Amino acid sequence: MKNRRWKLALGAAVLALVLSVTACGDKEEKTVQKSSTGFVPKLDTQTACSLTVVGHYSNFEALEAEFNSFAKYYPNVQLKYIYMDGYSKASSGILSTALASTEAPDIFFTYPWMSDWPDGAAIAAASENLSDPALGIDLSCIRPNLLTKDSAGNILSVPIYTTTYGMLVNEDLFAKEGVAVPQTYAQLLDACEAFKKAGYANPIMGYNKGSDLLYPLFYPYFCAQVQGNETALKEMNELKPEAGQYMRSALELAHDFMSHGYINLDNCNELKDNYEAVILRFFEGDVPMMLASGNTVSGTEKREAKSQPFTSHPFKYSFHPVPSTETGGYFINAVSIGFGVNKSSKNLAMANEFMRFLISANELNTMAKAKRMVTPCIDMSLDSVYAPFRRLSAQQFINTLELGLSDAAASQVNKAGWQVSNGLLTVDEAVAAYGSIQ
Amino acid sequence: MTVAMESVTTNYLLGEQEVCNSWAAYINANDMTAEEAIGFVRKSISTSGIMAHILFAEDGGLNGLSTAARASKPGDYSVSYGNVTALNIDFGEVLAESVTVNVTRAYTNPVNAIQSIAFCCPIALKDDQTAILLRIVPVSAFQKKWFFPTEEYKTAGISLIDIAGDYIVQGYSFKNSNFYEFYQSYNSPTPDALKDLKSSMANAPGVFELNNSMGQRCMIAHTRVNSTDDWILVSMIPVAVLDRTVISWTLVGIITAGLLLLLVFNLINLMSFNRQLKEAAASADRANHAKTDFLSTMSHDIRTPMNAIIGLTAIASKNVDDQAAVRDSLRKINLASNHLLTLINDILDISKVESGKLNLNPVTFSIVECAENLVNIAQPMVKEKDIDFNFRINRFDHEYLYGDQLRLNQIYINILSNAVKYTGPGGQVCVDMREEPGETDKSVRLVYIVADTGMGMTPEFMARMYQPFSRQIDSRVNTVQGTGLGLAITKQMIDLMHGTIDCQSEVGKGTTFTVTLEIPIADRKDEETAPLSIRVLLADDDEILLETTKATLQSIGAEADIAHNGFEAVNMVSSRDDYDAIILDCKMPDMDGIEATRQIRSKVGKDVPILLVSAYDWSDLEETAKEAGVNGLISKPLFRSTLYNKLREIMGIGNDRAKQEDETADISGMRILVAEDNDVNWEIISMLLQMQGVETERAENGQLAVERVAGAAKGAFNLVFMDIQMPVMNGIEATKAIRALPDPWASHIPIIAMTADAFSENVAECLAAGMNGHIAKPVDMKLVLKEIKRIKEETKS
Repeated sequence: MKNRRWKLALGAAVLALVLSVTACGDKEEKTVQKSSTGFVPKLDTQTACSLTVVGHYSNFEALEAEFNSFAKYYPNVQLKYIYMDGYSKASSGILSTALASTEAPDIFFTYPWMSDWPDGAAIAAASENLSDPALGIDLSCIRPNLLTKDSAGNILSVPIYTTTYGMLVNEDLFAKEGVAVPQTYAQLLDACEAFKKAGYANPIMGYNKGSDLLYPLFYPYFCAQVQGNETALKEMNELKPEAGQYMRSALELAHDFMSHGYINLDNCNELKDNYEAVILRFFEGDVPMMLASGNTVSGTEKREAKSQPFTSHPFKYSFHPVPSTETGGYFINAVSIGFGVNKSSKNLAMANEFMRFLISANELNTMAKAKRMVTPCIDMSLDSVYAPFRRLSAQQFINTLELGLSDAAASQVNKAGWQVSNGLLTVDEAVAAYGSIQ
Repeated sequence: MTVAMESVTTNYLLGEQEVCNSWAAYINANDMTAEEAIGFVRKSISTSGIMAHILFAEDGGLNGLSTAARASKPGDYSVSYGNVTALNIDFGEVLAESVTVNVTRAYTNPVNAIQSIAFCCPIALKDDQTAILLRIVPVSAFQKKWFFPTEEYKTAGISLIDIAGDYIVQGYSFKNSNFYEFYQSYNSPTPDALKDLKSSMANAPGVFELNNSMGQRCMIAHTRVNSTDDWILVSMIPVAVLDRTVISWTLVGIITAGLLLLLVFNLINLMSFNRQLKEAAASADRANHAKTDFLSTMSHDIRTPMNAIIGLTAIASKNVDDQAAVRDSLRKINLASNHLLTLINDILDISKVESGKLNLNPVTFSIVECAENLVNIAQPMVKEKDIDFNFRINRFDHEYLYGDQLRLNQIYINILSNAVKYTGPGGQVCVDMREEPGETDKSVRLVYIVADTGMGMTPEFMARMYQPFSRQIDSRVNTVQGTGLGLAITKQMIDLMHGTIDCQSEVGKGTTFTVTLEIPIADRKDEETAPLSIRVLLADDDEILLETTKATLQSIGAEADIAHNGFEAVNMVSSRDDYDAIILDCKMPDMDGIEATRQIRSKVGKDVPILLVSAYDWSDLEETAKEAGVNGLISKPLFRSTLYNKLREIMGIGNDRAKQEDETADISGMRILVAEDNDVNWEIISMLLQMQGVETERAENGQLAVERVAGAAKGAFNLVFMDIQMPVMNGIEATKAIRALPDPWASHIPIIAMTADAFSENVAECLAAGMNGHIAKPVDMKLVLKEIKRIKEETKS
């Protein structure tokens, strides 16, 4: 007992010392910088709280840069991005679990297909209506065809990034071999032939797990074929077997391209993922064309320094639409990620205030450029690596939301294309199997 | 600061790992199923936010059970790590290696989606199922353990990373989900520079500079966390903050004052600690002295009776033709031997007490027999010292109780023998024993009060009388034999039985000990007794005994008139002639029981049976009493059953139990097999039994004993005395073998242990092996005969 009193007394002394020390810090001037972007804070700028954003990106420097910008208005608000295991998997249920936990996130990643998840309804029920005028979030900067509303007309998610599909082109190799970057399907075949003859083992490559590989070639082509054909879209969404006919031409395109032998499947199969592995393989400098998505392109800039071959022999590269017709390729525009707000957030007002800050052409374009993603804003300020897409005409822009193809139907098309590309199904077999392709 | 934080972190991690390890140790020791194990851990968790998972090895640790249900699915305690791709628990490594701290990187707990770290420990479940136990701590809880002077260095931050740079705990000023990604994002190092940085951070503490996400130049300090394989502590502070040249003298003053305060506290604490150490050293010294004194005393006390035994044996040898001298020597040798035996028993008991090995072995026993035993033991001492001895009992409603009879006897005998021992000739010793209602209706409270008019004790001695090795230093006491252990043993046994002992004493006036014990009532019921519709005259000068005996008589259906002395009794018999029996106390003032008997006989003749009551050994009185006309003698205390049987006996009602006992007391002609490997012991027991007319046969070990019994004709032996520690086969195994014999007679032959293994656990072990009784060596022949009679009686019935 006596010993315990001593310990308590000693503890009190240490605490007093600590408190004295921490109380003696120099007062730091707290100044709020004037807005340079037109953002005017609505809340008390001295508000102290913390917000968390969760998602499946392992790193999100572009968002952290926005945190720094927001801190200029609200210096005492601590924003943090947290990677969450299993986040993007529909089966994990991790987001609905997180929203029900004691450390629920304030803002979270959303995907257009999230409503089809087993816990999609629970996530929707936990989401703030971001179109509520009281929040003051200006959604007019977003391309309207990227915004989706629920049955009550509420917008529960705002797109942050969109993506597209194409091919990374090693411009230095094209220049070296005197080959022009292809603008038509015929030129694509010619370019491949030229590189093949020049001794390139892989004139063109792509990630070949799941349903990728020729996806950037045949899927935009397919979308262009069915765009506006309401009957075709209706039957395909109903997964009727006879609707398989609508993908025949796209499958024949894939089959035709594979038949020329420009793609070495064994080498493609060595790519372990369709992000870092694809980028680093492309940076080795011996692949003229690498089929990829905008998500993959977003990781290129940071990985330049990670690649010993690239830092030793840097080259110029760009991202092009894959030409699938005699008039060129297409720009498929799909939402990559959006942000939703937890309406039970302990700091809901500040979470909405951050969204009000972020949803502006200036901030979203800044984020898009920082991550080399495609902005969701009307004012499409594309990074220079996307410059070739600027040459496409308005008719070659296809918005997947406007297209109206269901996720299930799109999945069937992708699987059919991949199986045909890998020789697992003939075109006729794939067409006949529509609706039940595994 | 970073190094200090490393120490804080290490201590925290070791503490958490220790908790995890202790859970695992408990699970491993108790052969649990996964459900039992998770249930145990669930009960063990006392901190909110902490949870635990058990992941099974059979599917690579992907699935298991959780102590908490999923936040989004209440009632679902299953857990799947299939989506936790970043965790990468190396199942084989956890199961195979024994590292100080085995902790994961930060990951999303699939049960509540909270960023957490997990401390791992392998466990073995029922049916050889292997698994990993995870103690899961939210990163936020871990972060709260850190103190960082953020007011002074507001822009400073600290993080914990693993060898790959992934954050375990991420300070706010640190960006990305990986420290090296963070470094790379804002500093553009070459691949070689990045590689060098990783290498230097992994190997040794150090500092370097980098640009943070705001473009500020910052100082990074890093150090390995010693308790882990691959954790690194990293702190970051803007260089501009460190470049301050203004010294805060107030701060310096406060820190100095604080340090001085701590120094003073430290000094005071050290002084206090030193004082405690001195006290502890003095206490140890005292204990050492006490033991030395004890050993010295023991040496003296053991040598004294040994000296008597050796010396008297020599004297007897030289006077072998002088029977009177030999008899006198043997009597004295017997006394010295008994004392030596008591001494050895006490030493062994206190050794068990001190080592915490004193256990209770409850059995059903008769409190009446217990009290009678006490009287029998006390009587010779009382008689020898001419002490006025009174043993009073109140009515006992429950004769059969369930407790450790041996220990209970030991307690009662210790206290009573002390009272007799320290009371001089002509003094008085009173025992008052009663039954009171217990705390529940399934137990009784036994109250045992022993009051003497002996020398008493000083308050100083009373304060330490229960400590072992303590004896009162007193010239009077030093003339009394004793070990100084009896009270210590008694107190320990009472504590073990959850009882109490109280002592009132005054030097020169006497001592009163009161022992209270709560004893369960045994299932065995007291024997039904037919009411005795008789009128009895009861004479005694002890008012309390009169009241209690009258109540006892009424409980058996008798009416009792009371006389307070011999004269009154004679007068009452003269005035009415309808007494069916007369009970007289032997020792009454003015006219004792024998004289009163003579006078009553002269008035009423021989028809009315007279029972003489004595608290003493009445063997010397028996002849005189019978001559005076006494029909029977009975010892105090007068228990209901004893009194009932004696009255029936002297009135010739029903079976005469006493006669039956006399008849069965004849053991002559019995045949006993003695399993004994020691020649001297065999010789002693065979001679003693032969003196009683008992035939004996020897088996030199347990195996031979089994063979003799197996090969004997039915009824060849009435009993087996079985030594325990014997070559070839010990007594326990031999008993089990005999009990397993196919012949019903052989397998049911009575077996009594006769062994020097005399602790109550040994008795219990013998009974558990199938023996019918236990006699400790050195053998008390009275006990041996009693056991033989008991067996003979039981065999008859």
